[in-house]
Amino acid sequence: MRGRPLLYTSYRADMALLNTPAKRVSLGLLVLLGLALPFLLQDSTLNLLAMGCVAAIGAIGLGLVTGYAGQVSLGHAFFFGIGAYTSALVSGETGVRTMGLGVPNLLVWLPAAGLVALLFGVLVAPLATRLRGLYLAIVTLGLVFIGQHVFGEWGSLTGGTGVGRAPARLELFGYDVAATDSMGTREQKSFWLMFSLLIVFALAARNLARSKVGRAFTAIRDRDIAAGVIGVNLSRYKTIAFAVSSFYAGCAGALLYPLVGFIEPGTFSLLLSVQYIAMVLIGGAGTISGAIAGAFFITLLPSLTRGLQPLVPFISTSPTELPNIFQVETILYGVLVIGFLIFEPRGLFGIWIRVRTYWKTWPFSY
Amino acid sequence: MTLAARVRDRAERMPDRVAMREKDFGIWQEVTWAQYWEHAQDFAHALLALGIQPGDRVAIQSENRREWLYTDVGTVAARATTVGLYPTNPPSEVGYLLSHSGARVLVAEDQEQVDKALAVLDRCPGLEWIVYIEPRGIRYRYDNERLIWWDDLIEQGRKHRGDYPEAVAERMAAAQADDIMTLIYTSGTTGPPKGAMLSVSNVEFAIRTVVDGGGFASPAPNPDDVMLSYLPLCHVAERIFTTWFNAGAGTQVNFAESIATVQENLREIQPTILFGVPRIWEKILAGVQIKLASASWLKRVNTRLWLGVAERVGAALVRTGGNHTLGTRLAYAIGWVFFYRALRERIGMRRVRFAASGAAPIAPEVLRFFMGIGVPMHELYGMTENSAVATGNRPGRVKLGTVGEPQVGIELRIDPDTGEIQTRHDGTFVGYFRDPPATAAAMTSDGWLKTGDIGEWVDGTHVKITDRAKDIIITAGGKNIAPSEIENALKASPFIKEAIVIGDRRPFVSALVGIELDTVGEWAQRRRIAYTTYRDLSEKPDVKALVQSIVDKVNERLAPVEQIKKFRMLPKELDHEDGELTATQKVKRSAIAKLFADQVEEMYG
Repeated sequence: MRGRPLLYTSYRADMALLNTPAKRVSLGLLVLLGLALPFLLQDSTLNLLAMGCVAAIGAIGLGLVTGYAGQVSLGHAFFFGIGAYTSALVSGETGVRTMGLGVPNLLVWLPAAGLVALLFGVLVAPLATRLRGLYLAIVTLGLVFIGQHVFGEWGSLTGGTGVGRAPARLELFGYDVAATDSMGTREQKSFWLMFSLLIVFALAARNLARSKVGRAFTAIRDRDIAAGVIGVNLSRYKTIAFAVSSFYAGCAGALLYPLVGFIEPGTFSLLLSVQYIAMVLIGGAGTISGAIAGAFFITLLPSLTRGLQPLVPFISTSPTELPNIFQVETILYGVLVIGFLIFEPRGLFGIWIRVRTYWKTWPFSY
Repeated sequence: MTLAARVRDRAERMPDRVAMREKDFGIWQEVTWAQYWEHAQDFAHALLALGIQPGDRVAIQSENRREWLYTDVGTVAARATTVGLYPTNPPSEVGYLLSHSGARVLVAEDQEQVDKALAVLDRCPGLEWIVYIEPRGIRYRYDNERLIWWDDLIEQGRKHRGDYPEAVAERMAAAQADDIMTLIYTSGTTGPPKGAMLSVSNVEFAIRTVVDGGGFASPAPNPDDVMLSYLPLCHVAERIFTTWFNAGAGTQVNFAESIATVQENLREIQPTILFGVPRIWEKILAGVQIKLASASWLKRVNTRLWLGVAERVGAALVRTGGNHTLGTRLAYAIGWVFFYRALRERIGMRRVRFAASGAAPIAPEVLRFFMGIGVPMHELYGMTENSAVATGNRPGRVKLGTVGEPQVGIELRIDPDTGEIQTRHDGTFVGYFRDPPATAAAMTSDGWLKTGDIGEWVDGTHVKITDRAKDIIITAGGKNIAPSEIENALKASPFIKEAIVIGDRRPFVSALVGIELDTVGEWAQRRRIAYTTYRDLSEKPDVKALVQSIVDKVNERLAPVEQIKKFRMLPKELDHEDGELTATQKVKRSAIAKLFADQVEEMYG
């Protein structure tokens, strides 16, 4: 019935992706704002935002396995790397140092990157179904080191440590997105592309989260034994969680480096994993919007600290001097994660929830 | 036209519109008129299959749900008589009602109600079938040849319908205006319940007057109106607002999950017409006040501001009879943005276009609060014996403290000697079932119904009720005092749930006071007063001081002889099962006087 938002006459309406008019309207406005941004911002900022979009896709993936299904994974960098190299392999030409398959179409290399990462996710999943908490964290940590070793040594694929190789090319059916033309600059077009992909990936994740699978994830997170008792097939859903999460990581890995312009094997280290954990925790574990917020926050943090550097002149911008801005950034990650875990465990999303609750309960407090 | 015929016609005219909703597993399941009539017909056929003859009684003891209406309408279609039992009736009362009514079939909601009936089976020789709706705990466990599951019974009905498709239609065609449609047992604050017989023509008159005529909701209800059904359906008031409104005007009925979830269900349903008994309005008001008091600082300031405005708006509306002036409209419009809209949304009254209070006296302060926040509140008056057709406040002509003007097309007079209100119209009941002496006592020789309520005219148009005749207190000093007015003034406070004023043949007026556990508990918590049980909390000196302050405030408005000189706390919450309240939650004074004689004597000792 009209005008009665709490009255549900079917489960379909109860579980709808955007179940209130307010959500529909605000999503529409956000999308419009996003599409308009390239006309409003500098190209350098746009490039950063495009990276934020990609990081958000990766963070959503980690959010699904860690935030929703409660399986701590430090191995995100590994899947990230697999996606990056698969895409580079599929898209690139065989050259002097590195091999390639020569299919530059994004619609081919992006799914390929996701699927190969997914395959590795499924391979790892049996471990996850037998381990919990700290043990799982250690095992996934192991993945990162295996990955770093393989990426470092397999020169024909990765170019080798300190050398690297060219990433995949942003090309759609022969149209080069990463070239400035009458449609717009390289940054404008790649932002539009990444933003559209983010919408697709975010909606897909949210759709998964509201479904039977998503409910199984949260049941496992809240108490895996209880979830098993109520009939959730633990190994099946943990496998699904890892598979989907790896797929997202693979896609994010494939999309990020075309914006950076270069893949260096050393980047897929523990630090990258920790960065993504930070995105999920700061944004708010167990929510899609939180993961997106966290991803943008962490991506924009360096430019923020650099912008504030003139205010504290004793911190140097040169990496060789002490104390320098890069150290401050690293420290800031740690401080932020600690701060959020202690004072705002539900992350940026938790702050939003609090603001929303304040107005939703008006004129009462509960 | 019977109720069943009305439902049939609606099913033909608007088969796919929603007739009712019930919440099942978190979803409001909708029933269309066509489905409604199908179910009712199946039930009617099932009754025929069981050999129910015209005039037989079919009892139902259940919370409000779809099956209640199927049973009611199906029974009427089979020309039998519906007898409603309160779900809270204890076994002893169930035994009395079943044996007194001579019901042949009982529809019992679940194991709890079946157990009650089985416990008193030997007292009810006429009871042939006990139909249970919820099979949980009964099916395959209970072994009694009188038990039958609702679904099995409906199956029998379908089979009967296949064999004799016209049987129910024939019964309906043979219906007479003086068929007894329903027996409504009045709660009986003094003696055992009495079964008022309402005939088809009584109900038709009531539907014409209070539904079509707009007596209970004006402008008249229509199929777009949404109702919440949550009070016991065996009470005439809820029967009107649920079944008769539904069949008569096509309103959409929504069944609340239970009385405990009413506030939540109100928020979901946002009804357009809302009826409540005083206890419900008092409880909503108390809930609002306690929640507002514990809100954060800014919200409290905002609330205080707009409640102050609401009070002035309410007072202005009381003066104008419910008509807005330019000033009140402006104040309300601004307040709508900051406060009233949100508040009404939260308490589920955002869309209420007609709110009504009845079935017991209510404190004007409570009504004024709701009028102030923009809920058009109207006090109504009626009783089972006159099919609830007596008086009602009309929109724009509201007089606070009165029960309104006589309904259109009825006769109403106030006996000049006794001050008793009497009515005469086509809705006057046929009589008490199997109790001619009581019937004779309730009527005058020339066909006026004696309501037993003492009243007076206000401005010649509105009726004000002083009290029930038998409740009037005459103090040792010879003063007549109406206790309900004092009690309601006390109950208008969010902290007081029950107040029983005592003083008959006593030197002064005193009271027994029962606190509202939720609100006083919250109040105590905020003051860091630790307590364990209801009794413990009641006896805290701080709580007594709180009650004393409320009593003092009420006393200020009373004449010296009416003032409450002493009070005692009730040591327990009053309860239907313990015989302190009637099924409709009215206090049984005689029982209270006996049960709490110690406390009473202590005050006068």
